[in-house]
Amino acid sequence: MSATVDNISQVEFGTELEPFEPDTSLSATSAFAEAVGWGTGRGGRFSDHEAARKEGFPGALVPGIMNMGFLTSMIHRWSPVAEVIYVDTVFRAPVVADEPCTISAVITDVDEDEGIVELDLTVKNAKDETRVFGTARVRLPAA
Amino acid sequence: MQVDIEDLKSKYLNLEFDRKDFVLDPEKVVMVAKMSGETLPQFCDPDHPDFQAPPAFIASLASGRHLPVDFPKIGGVPMDGGKAVTVLKPVRPGTPLTGRTHLHDIYDKSGRSGRMIFLVSRMEIFDDSGEHVATSDSRQVIREKSQ
Repeated sequence: MSATVDNISQVEFGTELEPFEPDTSLSATSAFAEAVGWGTGRGGRFSDHEAARKEGFPGALVPGIMNMGFLTSMIHRWSPVAEVIYVDTVFRAPVVADEPCTISAVITDVDEDEGIVELDLTVKNAKDETRVFGTARVRLPAA
Repeated sequence: MQVDIEDLKSKYLNLEFDRKDFVLDPEKVVMVAKMSGETLPQFCDPDHPDFQAPPAFIASLASGRHLPVDFPKIGGVPMDGGKAVTVLKPVRPGTPLTGRTHLHDIYDKSGRSGRMIFLVSRMEIFDDSGEHVATSDSRQVIREKSQ
């Protein structure tokens, strides 16, 4: 694992964060959905492949906002002192539970005076198809 | 006849249509953080002095209704087009919060399969002292019915 970032002076425009492969298992998506109140009321969409297929999905889904969680977790792994002050995610296509996906991010702007970094974020499946993308703005301490 | 986006905007934008109270359950906040791969203690340990909800949990807070009560039917079943969260202050589990929701934006995009209408509902979240602590935007996408 690469060294973590402690302050804004260590951030370089264009840097790619170390990719992160989150846990998309059915047990994880079920637990997440249950915790946000989407467990029983959504017909097993996040917890049961067969039930999700009956609804027309390719399989049980990773909840859209769980992808937002993956993205912010990745930022915190890169810099444990980063405060995520804004994150925007666009759900382009479903992310299916029990299928691997990779989270990546690249630094797109660095404002050293304000201590603000912007990143572009992507969730891709094993076929390298973008399923979710987004942007984040994080605050980092001065050097 | 196509839906008139400017007419919808003039009638519905920036008018609060829902208000809902929340108290976030610390155990559920921890579960969401851990299942997202979060490792920082301020999101995973309820005893941490800076314990707070991660953005994904804030995005899960749902208003009592998705649209104003008299909003016209403009197409098929809305799809979840995405979420955005702005964190102004830490959102503390176990304390009273109030979400006030309004329509923040309405816009359209046209493609080969027709016109898609985007409705952005914005929930502004306030703590029990009335301080605005976070904002959660929810984009609904509706495919316009062909005439």
